[in-house]
Amino acid sequence: MELEQASDASLVVAVGRWHQQALAEVYRRHGGAVHSLARRILRSDPPAEEITQEVFLDLWNHPEKFDAQRGTLRSFLLARTHGKSVDYVRSEMSRRKREERTSRETATAGYDIDREVWDMAVAEQVQEALGALPAELRQPIELAYFGGHTYREVAVMLKEPEGTVKSRIRSGLGRLRINLAERGVEPAGAEQ
Amino acid sequence: MNSPLTEAQHQEIQDLLGAYALDAVDKETATMIDAHLEECVKCSIEVAQHHEVAGLLANSGGPSPAGLWEGIAERLDRSTPPSWEQLASRLGPDGTPEDVDGTPAHGPVHTDDVGAAADRERSKVVSIDERRSRSRLLTRAATVVAAAAAVVAVVLGVQVHHLHNQVSALQGQPQLSGVERSALQDPTTKKVELTATTAHPNGSTVTVVLTRSGTGFVEAGGLTSLPGGETYQLWGVIGDKTISLGLLGSAPGVVPFSVAGNADVSAFAITAEQSGGVVHSSHQPVVAGEVTV
Repeated sequence: MELEQASDASLVVAVGRWHQQALAEVYRRHGGAVHSLARRILRSDPPAEEITQEVFLDLWNHPEKFDAQRGTLRSFLLARTHGKSVDYVRSEMSRRKREERTSRETATAGYDIDREVWDMAVAEQVQEALGALPAELRQPIELAYFGGHTYREVAVMLKEPEGTVKSRIRSGLGRLRINLAERGVEPAGAEQ
Repeated sequence: MNSPLTEAQHQEIQDLLGAYALDAVDKETATMIDAHLEECVKCSIEVAQHHEVAGLLANSGGPSPAGLWEGIAERLDRSTPPSWEQLASRLGPDGTPEDVDGTPAHGPVHTDDVGAAADRERSKVVSIDERRSRSRLLTRAATVVAAAAAVVAVVLGVQVHHLHNQVSALQGQPQLSGVERSALQDPTTKKVELTATTAHPNGSTVTVVLTRSGTGFVEAGGLTSLPGGETYQLWGVIGDKTISLGLLGSAPGVVPFSVAGNADVSAFAITAEQSGGVVHSSHQPVVAGEVTV
């Protein structure tokens, strides 16, 4: 169908016209990634499903928040998914549940964020680029992004100064971007 | 406008951009950085780049869960149909739309038979103008209703009719919002009856309601549903040009629209076009009518 051939940006224009099938096409393209990220952070299906729905309903109600000149639609949706997921896990109730769950996991299997990251079916180049990062740069990113922790929490977990952790997250993302480019993966987004 | 940051303060924010992009800062810090990004292009670009990288990390792919879409669609169906005020909110501060990628408003997006039912409820609105509005840096309405002035060769079968009966019937329609009903009762609101042209003698009467602010709606529920791959398109005659005012879908009901810049529309027409609409129509209008003073 022609709708399936439209660009992401064009689909968002159509969403701005309350074209439901355009939103359905956006969901078809990116719903899996959105749900996967939410589920990964929340470790539970019901809230992940709720957040997935919220992300697409938000796009429906506020398509103007997506700026095609600033990045891809997928990164926009994933950033919003991540923000909502993190908000959820930081709420008091979920925090308590999460701490209980984490403590159980720590007691039985240890906190193996590396294994979890590598379990993801990300593209080989992305895995390589991430793996090419020194551990001191990779771990803070993984703990913050997939663990939903603040950089201050990460600092405590890694027993590093807060300033060091925030700098490593920033420089790690920059290095990762370079690593990806070297492997032919060019993240979209505005150029400097 | 915030007071300018010192170099040290700016550096401090820059150091946090990676953590901010990963939602790894507390809410107070995030709010502070949000405000900074409104004014600092360099930092906002860096955050966008971090988001792209993070998006690649998160991209575990996999099929989109089908059951979830059903839940989303159900919630969409429960939502209130958009009014023209909602449309105006999508058009930026001065009511003008922006083009997302330079493509014509009706160019890249196509509805099809699959979308026929959705079109009826959702494929509602376009306002056509090439002017761009500049809104806030990060929330720039780049994806709102696309804009491209469209000059078309539409021949209007102009017919003027009394509207009292039509307006009365409209006011009784349950799908009209309170705002729309108020507009109907406003003596300054223009009500235009579009009637069948000689090319489509069986076309039903359509009423266009246009307020003095330039927003309005079309009550086009009487039009015959079009086959898959086609859509109705609304046109307005402004000066010596005929401008596309938006797509109405294949089975339109009450559809809001906006005339950018509140230009003086002298006549309206509706044509049947291919899905996605056209920039230049070569079809005879299905219905047409002139705005009376």
